[in-house]
Amino acid sequence: MKNRLTKLASYIFLIGLTGATISCSSDDSPSETPTQPETESRWFTIAGAIMDKTPGNGNGGTVLYSVSEENAQDPEFEINVFENGYQVKSQRTARLQSSADGSTMFNIAYGGDIGGEFSKYTVEGENNFTQTGGVVNISQYAGTSPRWVKLFDGDQTGVAVSVTSPQVNEGDEYQYTRGTASVVSIDMEDVLISRNSSFEIPLTSEEEKEGYHIFRLDVPTLNASKDKLIIGTWMRKTDPETGLTDDTDYERLGSKSVIVDYPSLENPKIITSTVGEGDTSGYRSFNSFLAEDGNIYQATQRDPNGSHFLKIDASNEYDNSYALSLDDALGITNSYVESWRYVGNGIAYVMYTHDGASVSNFNSGQQQSFLARVDLFSNTAERVDLPYDADMYFFQYQGFAVDGDNVFVAVSPVGKDGNIYVINKVTGAVTKGAKLLNEPGNHFIGIF
Amino acid sequence: MYKLQIIFLFLISVSAFPQATKNVIFEGKVVNSENKSLAWATITIPKLKIGTTTDIDGNFTFQNIPSGTYEVTASFLGYKSLTKSIEISIPVTEVNMQFVLKEDSESLDEVLLKVTSIKSEIEKKGFAVNVIETEESSFRNLQTNELLNRSVGVKVRRNGGLGSSVDYNLNGMSGNSIKIFIDGIPISTYGSSFDLNSISPAMIERIEVYKGVVPGELSDDALGGAINIILKKDIGNAINASLSYGSFNTFQTNFNAHYQNDKSGLFVKASGFYNYSDNDYEVWGKFVRNILPNGRYDYVRAKRFNDAYRSFGAITEVGFKQVKWADKISVGYTGSNSYNEIQHGAYMSIPYKGRFVEAKANVFNLIYNKTNIAKGLDIDFHGLYSNRNTVVNDTVKYNYNWFGEKSLDLNGNPILRPQGAQQGAPTLANIDRDIFSFRAGLHYAINNKHKFIVNHLFYDIARREDDEILSGLQRNFIGTRDLQKNVTSLTYEMRLFEEKFKATAFGKYYKQDIQKMDPVVEDINGERVRVEKDFSKQISASGFGGAVSYLIKPAFVVLVSAEQAVRLPSENEVFGDVGENIVENAGISAETSNNLNIGFKAGLYQVKNHKFSFAMSGFLRDTKDKIVRRTQSNLNDAVQTAPFENLGKTKSIGFDAELNYIFNNKLDVLFNVSKFDTRFNSKYDNNGNVLSLYNVQIPNEPFFTSNLNVKYALDSFLQKESTLNLFYNIQYVDSFYNIWVPREVRGIEQFQVPEQFIQDAGLSYVFPEKNLVLSFDVKNIFNKQSYDNFAVQRPGRAFYLKMNYSLSKL
Repeated sequence: MKNRLTKLASYIFLIGLTGATISCSSDDSPSETPTQPETESRWFTIAGAIMDKTPGNGNGGTVLYSVSEENAQDPEFEINVFENGYQVKSQRTARLQSSADGSTMFNIAYGGDIGGEFSKYTVEGENNFTQTGGVVNISQYAGTSPRWVKLFDGDQTGVAVSVTSPQVNEGDEYQYTRGTASVVSIDMEDVLISRNSSFEIPLTSEEEKEGYHIFRLDVPTLNASKDKLIIGTWMRKTDPETGLTDDTDYERLGSKSVIVDYPSLENPKIITSTVGEGDTSGYRSFNSFLAEDGNIYQATQRDPNGSHFLKIDASNEYDNSYALSLDDALGITNSYVESWRYVGNGIAYVMYTHDGASVSNFNSGQQQSFLARVDLFSNTAERVDLPYDADMYFFQYQGFAVDGDNVFVAVSPVGKDGNIYVINKVTGAVTKGAKLLNEPGNHFIGIF
Repeated sequence: MYKLQIIFLFLISVSAFPQATKNVIFEGKVVNSENKSLAWATITIPKLKIGTTTDIDGNFTFQNIPSGTYEVTASFLGYKSLTKSIEISIPVTEVNMQFVLKEDSESLDEVLLKVTSIKSEIEKKGFAVNVIETEESSFRNLQTNELLNRSVGVKVRRNGGLGSSVDYNLNGMSGNSIKIFIDGIPISTYGSSFDLNSISPAMIERIEVYKGVVPGELSDDALGGAINIILKKDIGNAINASLSYGSFNTFQTNFNAHYQNDKSGLFVKASGFYNYSDNDYEVWGKFVRNILPNGRYDYVRAKRFNDAYRSFGAITEVGFKQVKWADKISVGYTGSNSYNEIQHGAYMSIPYKGRFVEAKANVFNLIYNKTNIAKGLDIDFHGLYSNRNTVVNDTVKYNYNWFGEKSLDLNGNPILRPQGAQQGAPTLANIDRDIFSFRAGLHYAINNKHKFIVNHLFYDIARREDDEILSGLQRNFIGTRDLQKNVTSLTYEMRLFEEKFKATAFGKYYKQDIQKMDPVVEDINGERVRVEKDFSKQISASGFGGAVSYLIKPAFVVLVSAEQAVRLPSENEVFGDVGENIVENAGISAETSNNLNIGFKAGLYQVKNHKFSFAMSGFLRDTKDKIVRRTQSNLNDAVQTAPFENLGKTKSIGFDAELNYIFNNKLDVLFNVSKFDTRFNSKYDNNGNVLSLYNVQIPNEPFFTSNLNVKYALDSFLQKESTLNLFYNIQYVDSFYNIWVPREVRGIEQFQVPEQFIQDAGLSYVFPEKNLVLSFDVKNIFNKQSYDNFAVQRPGRAFYLKMNYSLSKL
């Protein structure tokens, strides 16, 4: 009873408050009122990650807020995602993708009771996100914490991949460690699972005897002829003497990808690079892109000689004549690509960290990140001039918005205000856009 | 005059239940006509075959006297013996009795008798404590956890029906910061087959719930509070048995027999229990859906199909009571066994099939206690050896829907679980624990005003694991875990101003040794050899606290207690537990908390036929390095397993209040309300800015609960001398979120657990001979969706019938 009264009182209060806000809003600075996008324009959705217990871990849920292109580019405009946003369905950091035109957000809830639930929102400005087309749950195929990306096929398809916990063979003698892979494609227009497949992916018997195995799959990419998916791998090794996970600094194999037929998702095959030795799984977003030259460019992580960009040619094999070492191109050591986006004409914007980068105040395991403009065709790279900060890191970063010649990024140090930056992909010029009001402990993980 | 009224109150109250074995502390004083204390006078209660002598101040005490009417005799050399009848009945509050007799020597002697219920005695020491007397409930279809849940400031969070996993929240503190004891021994000694799910209220004398401040005698690192289960201490010859059957094919049976030889003091006790439930209650709503091959949801109503629970066990004890060299000496054996199917993980959105946990335990104990071993010196000792075993079985590799059928993919093939088995990777984990647990106490009373207590707890647990599903090679490399804990406490108790002022001060010293052995392979003389690598971690800590109570007026007592409490990481928190999905974290450190309770108890007051009492308590828990289960982590997050970690700081502030109203000794209304606000208390980030989550509620914790319990007794209903009791209970839990809510933005509503009103009703009929009690209960009358945890539905409407039979001869 008391509770109901409290509720009633708070409603009355809220109504009063709303009235007050409306009556006051005319006094506010004009930059506070978002303008509607004109025709030809589009919405930009900013994603903020709330902390969970430790500042900067971004695991306390995800909040979205959308603004017009004009507002996004306006350095005078202030956006308060955390205050005014929309809490997207995901108990932890949501796995977000967007349509190329920014009108639709795609989300797969990560963890919790709704983990694995794919939903689609129409972007209608500010905190107005309307769920459309029903929900589809892929958790049975890919778990409640699935790894997925959309394919660049006109926003029709998303693909999620997973591997069951790899198990050591039975018996007293070590032979292999294997899991079972699942690939599932989602029809994002009708919001349905369109196809699924499941298979074991043994390595060569020599590799298996030494303990190597695929521990995780991620980031599928559609090839130029749209008949194969290239899936990134995260490798792990069992110590054949103990049957336990090898946590030493063992020798790594050449970087591997799994190739399956598309759209059947069958016929798995492994390809191996002789150039890179890192994993090809990325972390929270895309890790390989199809370029106009018909080749797929793929970044590596945990590469002993720093991250490389590898080329997979039209025959779906690694082109080992191509090698781009980020260490060499930037003159750094032990680089690590955290998130990146190919924007055309060989140009890529790459978020990375490297040895010697400052350690974050918040998380001793987390290093400062940087953004580089990389030319994949001329094998050159340069750091983009941004106001970097020891607490600015991008390992959770998911969204670069590409609109015409402009590439948008939304960055801030943990707990400090940041900005949208608009980068001209042709000239490389960087313009400061809208201010992102932050809150201590939180950060931004993308603009879509 | 006022005091006499209270005394009168006590004497007229009538026991509604037969064979009342509720025990009280019975204290008194012997003085002569000049009001001078008589030391070494003898006091006997012939009916109970017990006796004692007065101390230097003329005081005497009997512990654990069952209710009933007794002749009490006082004798002293040179004086004439005095015998007087006293009735000890229920409910007991407090009584002072004074009677006079003429003597040979024409002098007048007085024997002052005072009876205090143990409940009242404990509750008025100054601690924030609930004493739950289980007797009345033992005749009803109530589980121990339900009783606790109705108690003020306690929230029991169950993951399902009978046998489901349980988390206790005392004033906002939960998880491993709450320690549970059986007769002062950590419950982990007894294992999960002999826990509060399997022990019926009929086996329990009373439950003490200490909130925030825990007395030194319960020597363990109970940072947030302690629940101490006192098992029945039988007297005389008695047999009782009960059988309960109800919805979801639920059986709960209990048997207890006690024999005592008056001459030799020999006693034998045997009791047993058997519980079974299919727990196939219906679930529905947004968390209950079958996922179709195309990923769409089909919302269904379904019966839980993998949730059966069975437990059985026996307690036997043989020894001597009230002999010259011991008040009690006994050896005992407790054996128990349980089988528990697991329907789902942390959320019920994914049903499991074929996952189950089996547990068994064999516990041997030795008890010795003696009062006045030397003048004013009491000793008690309780030692146990336990071997317990847990097997987690999870090998079924397919996904199932809520109808218990395999989920099929688009091609019509069954879909594999993402991790290979229902909850994670396939497992047949076998965990064997050997536990030694000793508790010893020395009580020294300088006089009736000052008392010292030294207590020591030694606890040693050795854990061996195996997993038959692993390859022979891997099984050869499973490590071992050992934990040893020593807790010493020193307590000083003071009673001044005619016992109006009571104070307790205590200090505790904790020492914990954790050893771990992991086999590795090393190069020795060019050969690869299996070598056992040892690690160990030693943590010590100390804490202190105290409690003060002051009886301002008769029946109005003010209570204050505080403790700087410590909790050491448990074996599971350091090394993990496969069955509980806990991952190892060897780097975890101790948690500390400054706890404070301030409150009062008023009553029982009487105005004509109305009696009422009121109690209220405010509390603060300021916790640092809090140990909580990590809900979220960056990497390797595909598995529903997580370690415990030091979260930082939290602060709980809140209050409890309880109101009791009795009319004409027929109507008894108990209302309590409890608000516990647990908030994130790490204030600044490294730049000195106030974190957005500072002072925000910790997710997934209910923070406002209330309970109303009504009982009405009808005498001579249908039959003369019979009693019909009618019961009604309503429980309210306010809504809460399962995600951080720094502010209520749009879309947050989907993370909310709705507010709940759950109503239960029941009746019990006591037959005229008082040997037989029949009771009937309906739980969740309106079949509401009930949640203790987010996305985990508890049972709907259920009916239970219970029959109790008891026979006793004192």
